[in-house]
Amino acid sequence: MHNEHIEEHFNNRNVTELDSNYYMVDIADYPTDGWGKFKRVVKRSFRGELFVGLWVVLREMIKFDVHTIQYPAEKMPIGPRYRAVHEMKRLWESDAERCIGCGLCEKICISNCIRIDTKIDENSRKEVSEYSINLGRCIFCGYCAEVCPELAITHGGEYENASDQREHFIMFEDMLTPLDKMKAGTQLEFEGFGAITPHEDERVKKTPLAY
Amino acid sequence: MNKLINFKINGISVEAQKGETILTVARKNGIYIPTMCYISKTSPCASCRMCVVEANGMDGFVLSCNTPPVEGVEITTDSEALNHERTNIMKLYDVNHPLECGVCDKSGECDLQNKTLEFDVSRQNFSARDQLRPTQHWGLINYEPSLCIMCEKCVHVCNEVIGDDAIEVKFGGYSSVIVPKNSPTLDCTFCGECIAVCPVGALVSSGFKYRANAWELSRVPSTCAHCSAGCPLEYETRHGSINGENEIYRVKNNFEFASLCGAGRFGFDFDNRAVKNESAFGRAIEAIEGAKAIRFSSMITNEEAHILQLLKEKLGIKLFNEDARKFAEFMKSYSSVSGKLHHSGSLDAIKQSDAAIMIGSRIATDNPGVRYALTTASKHNGAKILYAHPMEDTLMQSVATQFMKYEVGTEEGVMALLAQTILQDADLDERERAFFEELDFGYLYAETNIGEEELSHMMNSFSRAKKRVLIIGNDLIAHDRSSNIAKLAALIEKYSDFSLVVVPREVNTLGVSLINSLDRDEKNISNVVGYNAKGDFVISSLEGADLAIPALNQQEGTVVSIDNRVLPTNVALEFDGYTLNDIAKAFKIDKKETIDYTIELNKKAGFKTIAFDDLENFLSPLGEDNRGYLLDEVTCKADGELEELDDMPEFNGTIVYHCDPVLQFNNYTSKTTQLPKENFLLGSAQFGVAARIEDGDMVEISFGQTKIQRKFKLDSELKGTIALNPTFDISVDASRYRFEKSKIVRVS
Repeated sequence: MHNEHIEEHFNNRNVTELDSNYYMVDIADYPTDGWGKFKRVVKRSFRGELFVGLWVVLREMIKFDVHTIQYPAEKMPIGPRYRAVHEMKRLWESDAERCIGCGLCEKICISNCIRIDTKIDENSRKEVSEYSINLGRCIFCGYCAEVCPELAITHGGEYENASDQREHFIMFEDMLTPLDKMKAGTQLEFEGFGAITPHEDERVKKTPLAY
Repeated sequence: MNKLINFKINGISVEAQKGETILTVARKNGIYIPTMCYISKTSPCASCRMCVVEANGMDGFVLSCNTPPVEGVEITTDSEALNHERTNIMKLYDVNHPLECGVCDKSGECDLQNKTLEFDVSRQNFSARDQLRPTQHWGLINYEPSLCIMCEKCVHVCNEVIGDDAIEVKFGGYSSVIVPKNSPTLDCTFCGECIAVCPVGALVSSGFKYRANAWELSRVPSTCAHCSAGCPLEYETRHGSINGENEIYRVKNNFEFASLCGAGRFGFDFDNRAVKNESAFGRAIEAIEGAKAIRFSSMITNEEAHILQLLKEKLGIKLFNEDARKFAEFMKSYSSVSGKLHHSGSLDAIKQSDAAIMIGSRIATDNPGVRYALTTASKHNGAKILYAHPMEDTLMQSVATQFMKYEVGTEEGVMALLAQTILQDADLDERERAFFEELDFGYLYAETNIGEEELSHMMNSFSRAKKRVLIIGNDLIAHDRSSNIAKLAALIEKYSDFSLVVVPREVNTLGVSLINSLDRDEKNISNVVGYNAKGDFVISSLEGADLAIPALNQQEGTVVSIDNRVLPTNVALEFDGYTLNDIAKAFKIDKKETIDYTIELNKKAGFKTIAFDDLENFLSPLGEDNRGYLLDEVTCKADGELEELDDMPEFNGTIVYHCDPVLQFNNYTSKTTQLPKENFLLGSAQFGVAARIEDGDMVEISFGQTKIQRKFKLDSELKGTIALNPTFDISVDASRYRFEKSKIVRVS
């Protein structure tokens, strides 16, 4: 599938490996002296490259093989690091909200659009009673996702915001992974900035708690 | 006596005074020694062992917190071995410490967190079998034993500084916990000082729990607005709910050197919310134009008092403030004998004293700052403390070494006896000597109910004291014969080594008394504008005002504390309505800001020419008070003469003493959400029998022209036939003599 390909592409970041998806583009050296520059101008002016381009346009036009994406019927696949509307994740083990109400996202937010309110709940645990992101102000810089110590707030792929009220843009309930999605095990982990890197499990040193 | 001890720390030559430890000398010289359990205002706990240092010629390590240096010793504070030792201590502190920094209230300002990072303890190397340690809910205070690191700071402040002695360590190795002393639950004055000193999140304010994090709150340094002790504090603010205006979330203090009572710590939400109401403002201007007088309370800043004085001069109206007027008269009489304007003592003088007389106040509830100072003196200097009052106070029992019970109303006689005893051998002038010679001792002993042996016992216990202090409470200021009492107090200060502290009743009674020329309150005239007080038109920061003004945590200004120190208060919360300065502007008393008047305050009373913005508000790392400035000493004519003693009044029948419960002072503390509002008439079983009322009865109490209804509650700690009547929730004249004959009738 297309998504898998992208994942692979993003995960194998080793440029020097032979089987990597990266290749070097062959570009001639730039001329440095005046004569070389003059020669390049003359060459480019008289080679008729303009007509090559025009021919491609004409050819594609008469073939009627349209490559334009028919939005909104069709949509481009989005990279997993794309920073669109925020998502609030749940814990895999308990389905509980990951957010612990530390307020770091609010603190770091440079457009000052996050507000959080916490209280003690009936089980003497810290509860996030209110959480809001003003998307009218948000610049999608991703600092909140980066600073989040619990990987609770992340960016998602949802980039379509249209409403007659700015207040509708985001509700905590809309951001939170729905429970049925958790039950189905389809909550996606964010792979962008601030996320744990792949194979982290092997690198993390666990706190010894065996006694 | 004052021989200095010369020694070296890390090769730097330093000097120590007698009584100083290696740690205090190191701190003075800016040399860092890590500590976990050390707190400057108590004796060393010596439980953490982080402060270990090496001394040449000594095997092993020395605890720097409780070891005085010897001449010529060379101390090393940092070495491989020391670092290893300290790292190991940190590793042990981290054993099973819950990894809940993300939600812990202390995170970001946690000593354990800081030191764990400082010593690079990146993992929990050891573990122990954990046990169930449920959270303890102690009213305003929550205790989480699993977070507790047993540094014992809380126990030390509670015992040595506050005097409640309400908590102790239940020893048991790894299962040691802090428990309430001799009680199933915490029974104390809820000063919350244990919360302040707790280096981790074990002791937290239950009202603050999980509401905000350290890094979200903005700090506003200010001065406590509840009593005249003028304790330094910081209001911490943040937006309320997600769309809310700013709110005060909690109050913190520099616990290393200063203390705060529960009213200051938990009673912070007395702010007034209002918007500009033009019609009310117009009516206020009209009311002042047509006013004969402005009646105001002492819960205002010096600048407001100054503006009121300017209004008085401009409009020719009278100013009523009985509380400050009585205080001013007392101090005037005092000055007429002592020849100076301000009393000589301060809270620091009390802390350093080794003998103290506390007379005429239920001080533990009237002014906790004085109580804490007395506790400190008692615990650290072994001070002998004489507590003279018609009623015993259980809160002062652990501190007072002698209780001197006198009859209600005989304060003048008591002061005469005290003065006579203290000044027996003093070099008095002729007329003063004549005054004491003419005293009718038989009458005095009989009426005051003070025995000669009590006085001689006092003199014996004070005989070896070097720093003595006389503390005068409100009962003496509000007394009919206050002027003669003040002269007697001045005499004691003048001819003995006693320093004198006069406790002002309200937060800025002292400031107002220095700034305003006050008129005697005429109760029955009309057209009086009330400024934070009763009147025909009320301008107030309390509820039910005709025009709203900001409360003391919403304005910039200064107040004068018991120490004669001019202290700045700051804007913790914004106020959108009108202020007194706006009113003044309407009368062409034109300054842009209220604080522009700070520099103009009454120079004759000792105020300095310092602008508000130049006032500092901090304690130095060594605990020096850099807040505001001390009033200049002002000398005046000493032409006062003692008057002959009056006949002692007799108080028979049912007597109530107007006295607020702990954590309550006035209508502002009564407005706050967290402070308990126990407005019972408290009396002993004996009082109940005499007044023919029982526990739980609803009674009507009439005194003067006031009638109030309260529930009667038996208090097993009280003795005698005087009941305590709280006044924080009603508005009574703050200047009245607080013992009052009253009629108490059961209504249901």
